[in-house]
Amino acid sequence: MTDKTRILKLKIAAAKSRRNVLRMIKASGHGHVGGALSAIDLVTALYFDKMKIDPSDPGKPDRDRFLLSAGHKCLAQYSVMAQRGYMDQSVLDTYGSFKACIPGHPDMHKLPGVEANTGALGHGMSIAAGMAMSAKLDKEDFCVYAVTGDGELPEGSNWEAAAAAGKFGLDNLTVFVDNNGLQISGKVTDVMSMEDIKDKFRAFGWAVAEIDGNDMEQIVQVLDRLPLQKGKPNMILCHTVKAKGLSIGEGKAGYHFWNAKPEELAAADRELEEQIEKLTKELEA
Amino acid sequence: MTGEFIDPRKEFGKTVTELAKDNEDIVVFSADSGKSSGFGDFIEKYPERYYECGIMEQGVVGLAAGMATAGKIPVFCAIAPFVTCRPYEMVRNDMGYMRQNVKIVGRNCGFTYSDLGATHQSLDDFGLMRLIPGMVVLAPQDPAEIRQGVKAMIDYQGPVYMRIGNPKIPVLFEEKPFEIGKGTVLREGTDLTLITTGSVTGAAIEAAEVMEREGVSVELIGMPTVCPVDEKLVKASAAKTKKVLTVEEHYLDGGLGTIITEVLSGMSDVFVRRHGVPKLYATTGSYEQLLDYYKLDAKGIAGVIREVLA
Repeated sequence: MTDKTRILKLKIAAAKSRRNVLRMIKASGHGHVGGALSAIDLVTALYFDKMKIDPSDPGKPDRDRFLLSAGHKCLAQYSVMAQRGYMDQSVLDTYGSFKACIPGHPDMHKLPGVEANTGALGHGMSIAAGMAMSAKLDKEDFCVYAVTGDGELPEGSNWEAAAAAGKFGLDNLTVFVDNNGLQISGKVTDVMSMEDIKDKFRAFGWAVAEIDGNDMEQIVQVLDRLPLQKGKPNMILCHTVKAKGLSIGEGKAGYHFWNAKPEELAAADRELEEQIEKLTKELEA
Repeated sequence: MTGEFIDPRKEFGKTVTELAKDNEDIVVFSADSGKSSGFGDFIEKYPERYYECGIMEQGVVGLAAGMATAGKIPVFCAIAPFVTCRPYEMVRNDMGYMRQNVKIVGRNCGFTYSDLGATHQSLDDFGLMRLIPGMVVLAPQDPAEIRQGVKAMIDYQGPVYMRIGNPKIPVLFEEKPFEIGKGTVLREGTDLTLITTGSVTGAAIEAAEVMEREGVSVELIGMPTVCPVDEKLVKASAAKTKKVLTVEEHYLDGGLGTIITEVLSGMSDVFVRRHGVPKLYATTGSYEQLLDYYKLDAKGIAGVIREVLA
């Protein structure tokens, strides 16, 4: 596969993932779309291009692990998992319903393939680091990938995890900071700035890279470079746009959580459909 | 009682170390707390399975839960409030909600850190831990029960909180397998049921002996599993004596007494009294002074029994 084909295929998968997000919002009427859509290109690339996984055997001991520290981005994970075959696509229509296996924050006991019950912020990095420690102890070669939001970085527990991952040399751990710059109350840098994020991680002994987290080419390039440095955990600072791909909400804090109107959903879905058609033609050309 | 006294922390650490010989899944976490938790030998023998994380209890619980997802059995021991209150949300979510096979052990429990004050005392750990769905709460009562309790805790698949003390504790029992969820009738009686757990059991036994000399027949139940409590045993004894007194080195609210009261709430003909520490920040002094002040030594417990029967 040429790089161009690889990128185009992933772009199409990401657009389909975005349509799946809309499908879930249509089912429930609302959801945390902002952070899901900013992270979804990366999540798509991990599940479709990077991770050693088998959706038909989600508990396989040597699988790579993915978890969302920012559990409210679960729409991104569900949409990709459905497309990747962890569940039937029709399960997406149960989002927000009674006893759904895809609740508003991921639950490992409800949906096989989910690795942790996150939602309370600042937990995921420690759990992911623990998974990576287990791989190191058993000399297993699986890798662990975690996505945190930039808004959750003020949680002190993140830095406990950062220190431990640095000390234990977890180069099999990669944390992606979904740096969309916005949280419920406004700009992350106004609410509680954690700049400079790269320097902070470097100080804890991490290897660091920085990309446009909505640019599939840059995502793939950085994933190909992992581990960035032997013996160091990896932090990829992903500059993203909140609600990316939802034109009415792009870059707006108000779309952290979206109470969607049917006509807005229909318009957004049409846009994505057209995008997929365009990309497919490009791929076939 | 043999008259012998043993350090509970050393007994705990020694047992984990012995079990780790055949069970390679056991890993130990330290938050600058390993050596004081009796893990000196473990560190020597199994350095690759010993994780010194420094003082970061929230991080440790998450790391431990992460390791448990891949089949490890992490054991994390530190001063009781620092493994319960401090990382409560991590214990609740990463261990409890995720149903992970992590064992946390609160040492220097109750007010054994008597002179260090309320920050280091732990009088609410039963209450906090028992509210986490699926969490087993253990409080072994003597060195043999610590040894057997640790074995049971490691064999059990799921999250467990165990509380142990600090000062040397008396040998009370013969060694026998520890069954999670089971209490034991330590002496039979007819006038009153006294239910005890953890570190106060030695004093409770003495108090029952004092009362017997006064002609009072105390049925003494040892309850090393606080949650899930042995409801059947409690109800059977209460039906017989009609008077139940609970005793614990814990707040009156939320601990063993509360649990027993809940169990007996349907038995309108049973009188229940809880004995423990009032819900306030306990005072400081020597451990013996505090036990005396809060009437948790043999003399104090006997006095409360007299009040109940008066």
